[in-house]
Amino acid sequence: MSAPAQILKENLWTNNPIFMQILGICSALAVTNLLSNTMIMTIGVTFVTAMSNLTVSLLKSLIPRKVRMIVQTLIIAFYVIIVDILLRAYLPDISKALGPYVGLIITNCIIMGRAEAYAQANPPLISMWDGATSGFGYMAVLLVIAFFRELLGFGTLFGFQVLPDSFVPWTIMVTAPSAFFFLGAIIWAGKTIMNREGAPA
Amino acid sequence: MNRQSVIYTVIFTFLVSFVFVFILAFANEGTRELVAINQKINRQRAILNAMNVQYSGDEDVLKKYKDVKEVTRGDVTFYTTSVNGEPVFAKEFNGSGLWGNINGILAVNGDFTRVVGMEIINHNETPGLGGRIDEPWFKEQLRGEKIVDGTVRVGSAGDGDTDHDNGMIDAVTGASRTSDSVEVILSKELSVISDALGGKS
Repeated sequence: MSAPAQILKENLWTNNPIFMQILGICSALAVTNLLSNTMIMTIGVTFVTAMSNLTVSLLKSLIPRKVRMIVQTLIIAFYVIIVDILLRAYLPDISKALGPYVGLIITNCIIMGRAEAYAQANPPLISMWDGATSGFGYMAVLLVIAFFRELLGFGTLFGFQVLPDSFVPWTIMVTAPSAFFFLGAIIWAGKTIMNREGAPA
Repeated sequence: MNRQSVIYTVIFTFLVSFVFVFILAFANEGTRELVAINQKINRQRAILNAMNVQYSGDEDVLKKYKDVKEVTRGDVTFYTTSVNGEPVFAKEFNGSGLWGNINGILAVNGDFTRVVGMEIINHNETPGLGGRIDEPWFKEQLRGEKIVDGTVRVGSAGDGDTDHDNGMIDAVTGASRTSDSVEVILSKELSVISDALGGKS
C-alpha cells in the first residue's frame, strides 16, 4: 500500500485518534449534541490539524529543540484564531452558536499529538495529509456520536424533525454523560472488530 | 549558527512570534469593520425581534431600525417605537445565568400590561439545555404575555405555554437553574421598567 493510503487507513481506523489513541475526548463530549455544531467544529479541527502539521513540518529544521513544543502551540493557536476571525466576520450566526468552542480547538490534543509525533519528523505535504486524515478520523467518530445524541435527545437530524411528536426526547442524550456511553461503546466495538481481523490492537 | 544556542533560540522565538502575531493583527484589523457591522445588525435585530417588528434580511433591519428612538426615563434608557399604532418600550438587560451573563432585550407595551417580547443577544448557558432559552419556542412564550402582579413567572418544565393571559411561561426541561435565572431577570427587569415608566402614566 502506498504511504498516503496507509496513513489514511491508520488515521481513520487502525490508529484512529479517538478510539485508539483516546485523544480529543473533551470536545467529543462537548460538541456532539447537535450534528451541525459537530460538523463545523470537526471541519475547524481538520483545517487546523492539516495546516499546523504543514507549518511545523516546514519549520522543523529551524526550530530549536528546547522551544519546539511552545512553537508548535504558537502555530496551532495562530490557525485557531484565524478560524475564529473568519467565522466572526463571515459566518456570525455559526460563530455565535459555537461560542467558546472555537477557541478550545487549541486544547485539542490530537493537533499537538500529530505535530509532535508526525510533522516533526516527516516532509511537509505528507504531514499535511496526515493532519487532514487525523481530522477525518476524529470527524467520523464525532458524527456517529452526534447522530445518535441529536436523534434521541431532540428527535431531529441537522435540525430537521425526523421522529414523530409522540417521541419523548431523552434529556440525558443532550448532556455530556451520554457521550461517555457512546464513546465507550464505540471503543468497545472498534477494538472487538480489530481483534477479529487479527490487527494489532 | 548553532541551532541549539541560547541566542539563536531567543531570536528564533522572537521572530516566529512576531510574524504570526503580525499576520493575526492584520487579519483582525482587516475584518474589524465587518465584525462591527455584524454586531450592530445583530443588536438591532434583537431589539426589533423583542418589539415584534417584522423584517426581512439584514438591509431591512437597518431600514426598520431607523424608526426606533432612544429615550431616557429616570436612569433607564429605552428603545421605543410604535407597532400597529401602539407604543412599545424595550430595554437592554444583563443578568446572571448558570454559567455567566445573560444579555438581551425585553420589550413591554406602553401601558405596562403585557410583555411584547424578549430576545437574547448573548448567553453562556449549557448548549442544548439552558441554551434553549434562545430557541424560538421559549421566546415565543413571552410574546404578548400578560404581566400579573408586576412580573411573569417561570413555572414547571414543559413544551411551551400557549396561554398568554396567565402571567406564566414554561421552564426548559433539564435546565431548572437557567430557568430560575430567567425568572429572576424577568422579575427584576419588569420592576425596573415599571418604576421608570411609572412616572409617565
